[in-house]
Amino acid sequence: MPKGTEGVHSVSPEVVLLFLKKTIPFNELDDETLQNIARHIIIDFYPKGTVLFKQDETEVEYLYIIQKGGMKIYLKDEEGNITLKDFRGEGAYVGALPIIQGTKANLNVETVEDTFCFLLPKDVFLNLVQSHSRITQYFLKSFSEKFIRTAYRELRHRNMVPRTEGTLYLFSARVRDVIKKEPEFIDASRPVQDAARRMADLHIGSLLVSAGSETGIVTDKDLRTKVVAEGRELSTPVSDIMTSPVATINANAVCFDALLTMMKHQIHHLAVEDDGRIIGVITAHDIMVLQGSSPLYLFREIVAQRTIEGLYPLSQKVPLVVRTLIEEGAKANNITRMITILNDHILDRLLTLLMDKMGTPPVQFCWLLLGSEGRKEQTFRTDQDNALVYVTPENEHLAVQAEEYFREFAEAAIEHLENCGYPRCPGDVMASNPRWRAPYPKWEGYFDHWIDSPEPLEVLHASIFFDFRSGFGDASMAEKLRDHIVERSERQQIYMLHMARDYLSRRVPLSFFKNFIVEKNGEHKNKLDIKHKGLTPIVNFARILSLKHGIRETNTISRLQALADKGHIAEELCSMATDAYELQMQMRFVHQLGQLEAGIQPDNYIDPGKLSDLEKQMLKDAFAVIERLQGVLKSIFPAI
Amino acid sequence: MRWFRELFAGVFRKPHEAILKNRELFADFDQSRPLSHYDFVVFDTELTGLNKRKDEIISIGAVKIRNLHIELSSAFHELIRPAKLDSTDSTLIHRITPDQLRDAREAAEVLPDFIDFCGNALLVGHFVGIDMFFLNKACKKALGGYIQNPSVDTMRLARGYIEGQRSFDYGHTDQSVSYRLEDLTERFNLPRFKPHDALEDAMQTAYLFLYLIKKMKKGGIQTLKQLYQAGRIWHLM
Repeated sequence: MPKGTEGVHSVSPEVVLLFLKKTIPFNELDDETLQNIARHIIIDFYPKGTVLFKQDETEVEYLYIIQKGGMKIYLKDEEGNITLKDFRGEGAYVGALPIIQGTKANLNVETVEDTFCFLLPKDVFLNLVQSHSRITQYFLKSFSEKFIRTAYRELRHRNMVPRTEGTLYLFSARVRDVIKKEPEFIDASRPVQDAARRMADLHIGSLLVSAGSETGIVTDKDLRTKVVAEGRELSTPVSDIMTSPVATINANAVCFDALLTMMKHQIHHLAVEDDGRIIGVITAHDIMVLQGSSPLYLFREIVAQRTIEGLYPLSQKVPLVVRTLIEEGAKANNITRMITILNDHILDRLLTLLMDKMGTPPVQFCWLLLGSEGRKEQTFRTDQDNALVYVTPENEHLAVQAEEYFREFAEAAIEHLENCGYPRCPGDVMASNPRWRAPYPKWEGYFDHWIDSPEPLEVLHASIFFDFRSGFGDASMAEKLRDHIVERSERQQIYMLHMARDYLSRRVPLSFFKNFIVEKNGEHKNKLDIKHKGLTPIVNFARILSLKHGIRETNTISRLQALADKGHIAEELCSMATDAYELQMQMRFVHQLGQLEAGIQPDNYIDPGKLSDLEKQMLKDAFAVIERLQGVLKSIFPAI
Repeated sequence: MRWFRELFAGVFRKPHEAILKNRELFADFDQSRPLSHYDFVVFDTELTGLNKRKDEIISIGAVKIRNLHIELSSAFHELIRPAKLDSTDSTLIHRITPDQLRDAREAAEVLPDFIDFCGNALLVGHFVGIDMFFLNKACKKALGGYIQNPSVDTMRLARGYIEGQRSFDYGHTDQSVSYRLEDLTERFNLPRFKPHDALEDAMQTAYLFLYLIKKMKKGGIQTLKQLYQAGRIWHLM
């Protein structure tokens, strides 16, 4: 029977030993050594936010092994800028390097969760490192590896990829996808003036030249330097100034290869070859356009379109713009706002051109945007959710006319929008559906019905309608409708109970043991539906409280801010919810962008296994906020 | 009044040396020092049952908290041979067999070691009143006196902490808080130890204590006295 007085050390709790036994590198040690170590251990608790090490200040007296919780490790430069270096979770440790090197703490360490640590005194740790070769090896190896890992993670933290990010697109886009037109040929015997005229007519900078069995190329540079500058006759045959054979690139090569070939030969044009046949020409300009994707450039392109068809390819360029924004470190809310502006412009241009084609409508109307479009929270390829409201026609004749006009107008608009890459709404909530294309009083009627005599299910389906805003046309009609709802909601709040009941029935995606709840079956097994599990609860929370308090905003973050400004929720809660929302939006963007670039249809299913520890940590924090929001909702609607 | 107590006790029987030494230590106990200046001994006992008249302590597990952290170098874990060795209903819970107890030392040998281990530390336990009762009953019987160390109940501490947190978020309150050690461990997301082993339970309680004291310290409670005034959560014996 061990005699347990101070100084007689043989009674370390089993749990401590078990923990060390499964913790690298201590699992390499024999039981006796472990017992020996365990008896020197001190256990301490550091509440979330405790600073353990201060860079260049703290003398490190212990190796801190994390039993439970987590820490962030960061650098602070002279200007106070913080660079996150790493996150350490259970079983990881901090302090080894300064102890071994005999220096002060080289980094800042702060707990990001309530954290329990095993502290191994410095001399015991040093002794261990010196006397056990496996431990020595482990720490030496881990230092070099950790540096590589940290560097890699930092890249990821800066949104997946290096800063010269446009380059990455170069690695994925195929030459085949970039060429625009069929190749234009000219016979080698033709005069250079013919070539110049053809190029001017076609607005192109080069022509391929048929020279017997060979293919050459003549470019505007050739015309400049070899004809004009040298004062040659305009009748000089093209064969005299062409370059032959033309440099080619395979159609399946990625654009990066094309760029390299051009740089190597100091040329700007390459013929694109597919199966021994030339299918087009790729130019340095094409590649630059591919890279250069400033929002302003796209904006100008949209506004400049003269045909509806010309708008079709433009929405596909939105992801390119977004990529640039993410690289620049834009917050998710700014990104969604940018997407919203671009999409709004496409819609504006499209409907304007459509009206030009169809003539002035018989009465004033307003194109309503609903759901995520209404909340200005679009990501890539958001389904269409729209509706149309128009002024009540004065007489029967006008009514028939209006009905006819708006039917045709809406049906055409929806089809064009689909061609632009906005998929149809699976639930048919679109202006092309006669139910959602109605004169103003009918719309008041719809909302009155949802508010006054709610069927629980119906109210839920109607949720997206409550997020409406004006997208095009006479905005005052949307404003009037909003007034009506605000006023009505003050008197009638039962419908909110239905909403609240549903929102509360959704589980926060953290299980009992703080792991993620993932999809159990099917295509997305073990993945996390970040939209429905993570974002929707925050959107719902903001919507229901805004309706309750007569807030007119539809954007979730604006709603939260308005609620805080008016004192309906605590400022702290508002900023926590905003952070949680933005973080998840950001993750969703990065995820969807990755899919788009891999040629996959974007979805909302994130694989938690692919997140870094830090990302997981942040996501868990975000879900904890959702739990809190639900608690608040429960206390506001206690009848549920 | 020490002279009086000693005199009075002496009429019947002179208390054990360990008890006398213990009394010395607490002759004038100062509550105004910062929390980190106190030593704490977090302990747990296993009993033959909960009958205050009949049942006895059969195991004590304890860990020391010094400078507000747990020192594994000073842990205490001992079995005590009870007067009656038959297995009881509790045997199933703590899984200490009569055979093991037969080999254990008696209370008169173990308790002085424990009192010595505690020194001038404050005693900490979960529902500490029960442990203190049986501990003092054993001390009285085996050593002829009670121990003077003030005790702290982590259950009361937890209640003070949780109630202090309320009125947060719309005054959203939860009436159904359970103060069992296992439930609090889960609530605060603490590491888990094996239940119903005196040492592991003491460790579990020590974690809870460390958690609460540091969380409350963040809230501005610095000295023992402040802690006492803040919640009346102390149980000074």
